[in-house]
Amino acid sequence: MAGDPQFDVLIVGGGVLGAAVAARLSQTSARVVLVEAETDLAEGASKGNAGVAVSYYGAPGTQETRLINASNPRWEALTRRLDVPYRRLGGLMVALDADEERRLEETLAEVHACGVRGELLTPGQVRDAEPLVSENIAAGLLLPDEGVIDPMRLTIAFARLAAANGVTIRLGERVLGIEHDGDLSSVITSRGRLCTRFVVNAAGVEADHVSAVAGGETLHTWPRKGQYVVLDRAFGEKLTKIVFSTHTPLTKGSNVVPTTHGSVLLGPTALDIEDRDDRATDPETVAGILEKARRLVPAIADAYVMKTFAANRPAGDEPHRLRIDAKQPRLVHLTDRSAGVSISPAAADLALEVLNAAGLDAGDRHGALDVLPRVPRLRTSSDPVALTEIDPLYGQVVCVCEQVTAAEINAALTGPAAATSVDGVRKRTGAAYGRCQGSLCLAGLSFLTAMKTGTGPASVRQTARGTVGS
Amino acid sequence: MTAPYIVVGAGPTGLGCATELAAVHPVQLIDRIPVPGGEAGWSAPQINALVKDARRRGVRFRLGGTALRWEPGRLLVAGPGRIEWLPGERLFYAGGLRPATAADLFITGDRPAGILPTTVAHHLLAAQQRLWDRVAVIGDGPWASVVAEQARAAGTTVIAITKGCDPPPWADEVTTQAGRIVIVGRDRVSAVRVRAPQRWAVIPCDGVVLAAGPTPNRNVAGALRDDSQGVAFVQPDEPGSVAEHSEIGRRTARSWIAANGGAR
Repeated sequence: MAGDPQFDVLIVGGGVLGAAVAARLSQTSARVVLVEAETDLAEGASKGNAGVAVSYYGAPGTQETRLINASNPRWEALTRRLDVPYRRLGGLMVALDADEERRLEETLAEVHACGVRGELLTPGQVRDAEPLVSENIAAGLLLPDEGVIDPMRLTIAFARLAAANGVTIRLGERVLGIEHDGDLSSVITSRGRLCTRFVVNAAGVEADHVSAVAGGETLHTWPRKGQYVVLDRAFGEKLTKIVFSTHTPLTKGSNVVPTTHGSVLLGPTALDIEDRDDRATDPETVAGILEKARRLVPAIADAYVMKTFAANRPAGDEPHRLRIDAKQPRLVHLTDRSAGVSISPAAADLALEVLNAAGLDAGDRHGALDVLPRVPRLRTSSDPVALTEIDPLYGQVVCVCEQVTAAEINAALTGPAAATSVDGVRKRTGAAYGRCQGSLCLAGLSFLTAMKTGTGPASVRQTARGTVGS
Repeated sequence: MTAPYIVVGAGPTGLGCATELAAVHPVQLIDRIPVPGGEAGWSAPQINALVKDARRRGVRFRLGGTALRWEPGRLLVAGPGRIEWLPGERLFYAGGLRPATAADLFITGDRPAGILPTTVAHHLLAAQQRLWDRVAVIGDGPWASVVAEQARAAGTTVIAITKGCDPPPWADEVTTQAGRIVIVGRDRVSAVRVRAPQRWAVIPCDGVVLAAGPTPNRNVAGALRDDSQGVAFVQPDEPGSVAEHSEIGRRTARSWIAANGGAR
């Protein structure tokens, strides 16, 4: 095997956790590469989640809870620095009957045991806090430190910061094997061979495969499919709080979540499956999501439904994993079933500690960037009239529903971790997220993406995996 | 000085509406596309005649400007070249129709590449792009026939999925839909499963066009609601000819004028 390593750390996986670690390590002396099998970042669970930066996820005394607690106070400052939409809306967990009210009291005790703020509310107080909640409830639990975040923008921002600080981001490259020789590891990918001292396995639902090809432990992970329903802004702008159902011993239940785009997400359901690429929705499940959500918020009407989708999160016998492999001392596992976004800032810090304890010896680098340039957004701008002075293309609206301009789309298509597909533009700008689901703008998005990626409008990627034309 | 009435949408409906309103009040007509005509296209002779008529009545045109936000008394418009608030006494919204989305049609299943709204497919095909070998067209309105003819001209086999009894003349194959539609395909669409009478039909294809609907465009960036103050909606129920739609625009304007005390 070759003598000098090209990299100190190779991160497998461009989801929120892999990208967060890349961003943190980019501020140190370590030489870092991130390898992602898909052609874009945030293509797994980091794309398909409810977009809640939680304050509480159960399990007092665990590392996961410590990481949630350490991350939560940082969101405002972090998202401002990284130009990521975030709002600390607060959440209401709602008990529908006496049985759920008892469980809500148990949950409150656990919330406090986790060191998190929470307060029991009467039905009247719940409806004062969020008038759209049902009249037929027994009690509520206010969790003031719950927030909503754009998980795709967060992941991409972490990667952009990492790239700006010199991290190599390699997309569309699958890890096939990892060979160890003393202090060095040779990572064989679909595009070649990379030599590194440490490997971080942040491959999400593929973490078991990566561990297996690295000669690590046998990890037990499997996809847990969640289906979601997205509601129109016409409803979203009325809802001011995240509304949760009461946790049961089996599931965290269903959520009604205002998104940072102004839409509302319902879901997810939870179904353990085998096929990692199964992201299909079905009418019965979608109808069930709507029915459950209406018990919490009765004003949810079918006419508000804009979209349904499904995604897989990495379930396993170890829902949270940030530790060194039992067999390979230079392999660090970093996966989380449901709280990846919520732990990401503190998990990145801890990953650096774990790597340093294992001998990485990376110190903070003077002059490393920790701020990304802000891309002004027409829809949320407080002074839209001034935007064309920054760039005349702000005067050219491509997505009418979401008010996304050619200036914002060009920003998504340039720079580090740029979009290479129409979906990539959508994830970075919100274009085509609105009521018409691209009926007015997908042609324009295809043309703009094709121009920047040097293809034609039919051969340009529509998703990370498939093109507009066949 | 009196603020004008603002008409959004310079297609046949908007042109008809603006021309009629101009008899009683100054009118500013805007459209997000830099040419008039909307879906009918700027080069149609009938559009040319409507535009001349509107100009003769004093309608002012602002083409290439997107309506963003309406507050009673003013409209935020982006483009061309600048973003500004335009004063307007009332807003007449002639923003046209859109095809039904997958969610509108209760379509479930996979969400792979290869599914396009008919409006988008039309644009791409018009740019001489060959998109598919076998395309399933869901819905049988006028949009469906236009896209189907374009696709067939490019050598694509067109399969119609319709609820009606009469097989549409523009299709090579037809499946009658009696219930749900489910998309199949991981990276790219590979089939559409259709609840046909008595059975599930599986239609292999490499593209899907959503051509059912039509639904009026609303919720323009949260600017417009059915109950927005000071706004009248001027939108036909379904795609139609230039003459039909401009008449709908004119009629809506006339009845609005009559209901609001005639000329001012």
